[in-house]
Amino acid sequence: MNGGESKLALPLAALFVAFFIGPLLVLIVLSLHAEAAMRTWTFANYVRFFTDSFNYSILWETLLLGAKATLLCLFFGYPIAWVCARVNARLQSVIVFLVIMPILTSVVVRTFAWIVILGRQGIINQIVLGLGLSNEPVRLLYTEVGVVLVLAQVQMPLMVLPILTVMSKIDPNLSDASRALGAGEWRTLWRVTMPLSLPGVIAGCVLTYTACITAFVTQTLIGGARLVYMPLHIYQQAVGANDWPFAGAISVVFMIAVLIIVGILGALGRKSETYARA
Amino acid sequence: MTHRLDRRTVIAGATTLGASVAMPAILCAQSKTLVAATFPGTWSEADRNIILPAFKAATSAAVTQSIVLGTDQVARLTAAKGNKPPFDVAFFDTPQVLDAAKEGLIVEYPAAKSPNFSSLLPKFQDKWGPKITMQVIGIGHNPKKIAPPPKSWDALWDPKYKGRVGLTALNSQLGIAFLAELNRIKGGSESDFEPAFKALRSLLLNVGAIATNLGAYATLWQQEQIDIAPYNFNFVQTLKAKDVPVELAIPDTGAVGWETSLHLVANATEPDLAVKYIDLHIDPAIQAQMLKPPYDVIPTNSKVKLEGAITASLAKTHDDLAKVRGFDWAKLNPQRGALIERFNREIKV
Repeated sequence: MNGGESKLALPLAALFVAFFIGPLLVLIVLSLHAEAAMRTWTFANYVRFFTDSFNYSILWETLLLGAKATLLCLFFGYPIAWVCARVNARLQSVIVFLVIMPILTSVVVRTFAWIVILGRQGIINQIVLGLGLSNEPVRLLYTEVGVVLVLAQVQMPLMVLPILTVMSKIDPNLSDASRALGAGEWRTLWRVTMPLSLPGVIAGCVLTYTACITAFVTQTLIGGARLVYMPLHIYQQAVGANDWPFAGAISVVFMIAVLIIVGILGALGRKSETYARA
Repeated sequence: MTHRLDRRTVIAGATTLGASVAMPAILCAQSKTLVAATFPGTWSEADRNIILPAFKAATSAAVTQSIVLGTDQVARLTAAKGNKPPFDVAFFDTPQVLDAAKEGLIVEYPAAKSPNFSSLLPKFQDKWGPKITMQVIGIGHNPKKIAPPPKSWDALWDPKYKGRVGLTALNSQLGIAFLAELNRIKGGSESDFEPAFKALRSLLLNVGAIATNLGAYATLWQQEQIDIAPYNFNFVQTLKAKDVPVELAIPDTGAVGWETSLHLVANATEPDLAVKYIDLHIDPAIQAQMLKPPYDVIPTNSKVKLEGAITASLAKTHDDLAKVRGFDWAKLNPQRGALIERFNREIKV
């Protein structure tokens, strides 16, 4: 790329500096002060975070929640992408449309729909009670199981689309060759398709994971006040307790934790690409 | 066919685009716009359906509603301090008035410019801004599941209702008022909240859901996820109007509540319009209209006769209204952050 072409990226770079890097720096500087007016420098907010098990139990539970929801997403999303990559073009566009459809509605609407599904009077409980599986309605709303389930559905497109993109680029001759050499469907999937689709799986996991752990609306509406995750914790400190510097410190810690996980996944991704090429 | 982008087309395109973005703002500049905060729920609806048309007719100015809780309004005004405030009219419950006045976020209300101020009941004339209504809390319950109506807060601890009791987080006024009342009943004081938290810990065995905000709380009632919980008179009326099975019972320990008021924000862009807007809220004709269902807004103007649901469960006369017990917010406010923090720790699973 020559100098003339790279100049084309300048407006975007300016936008990025003004509205992303700038506020981020303000956040970091704020977290290093004792009060919102930013008069005295201090490291106390970080000390406070790491000396109180309440805070890092929330951090740990948030990171774990993301892992659970991402795995569930992968469990359901991978087969969808696999089927989608193998059907004819027309059916493929139908499946892709069905996968994308949830993104077309607001996350609030999607989440409220889930409240109706998971509630005591909801569809799931009506089925459970109707089949006589339980005498009492099952508690799903305001439980972690509920949050994981809803996150997996709400973020599904972020998992399916990257896997599908990578899968549709895999040379079909490779699976044909595998079959011609005597491997069955499962063996072909396990030894050929799966390793080749790994870069897509990892890209999907990164997107789903980051979306799940920061999903404030879904976490609070389905999880309620007793299941505290980082986004709600930050909100409570900033708006409820009016302690902006501490909220800033929590945000910075959270961001670094997420960056580390994304970094690990990214390294795995690069490794899987060399593996796929070999 | 080929498309070529030369400098001239790009500039022409960009100018058109820019003009189309700026146009609405240019047109709007001819009629003024007031930005007014309001609470989610009953109030945003009452403001939209009753106040906004009346305001438009009286001033020909438009109103943009900013639907935000009182504590969030204080946070936003604090964040914008020194700059143009995000709204001209603040909508507070009693505790936020003290905080905002101390921080210089609101100015003293120019009562002389507000013709209806003097006909407010004396209790509701505040120098920082008129009290436009009262909010009263009691025991919300689903009459299909709980009959006869509960008589005491103790009903929440009844083992019969295990998993059926709801609560709301302390960021709402309802949450903090319930905790303060619980503390008073259990023998605590403004300086000692231990009795309230002790009672809360035993109550958690019965609690099925704690909502993070009042919107989610309303959904819990709507989905019949909870059957009994502290609730607010006006929210009950709003839900009843939507055929949700919920009633409010006033416990034997008496009605408790607080006042809601409107304020002129410091450095407001449209101070004159703001006062006109605030005055409309205490106009007897408007308050009489708001007293009707589904709003059932408790009036504060002495010229408005009490009628409807209020007289059935809360107050028959203006004197009864004056008897509704309040809280000492000047003592409670400084502890608010610590109470929220403690509550969040106590309830975390």
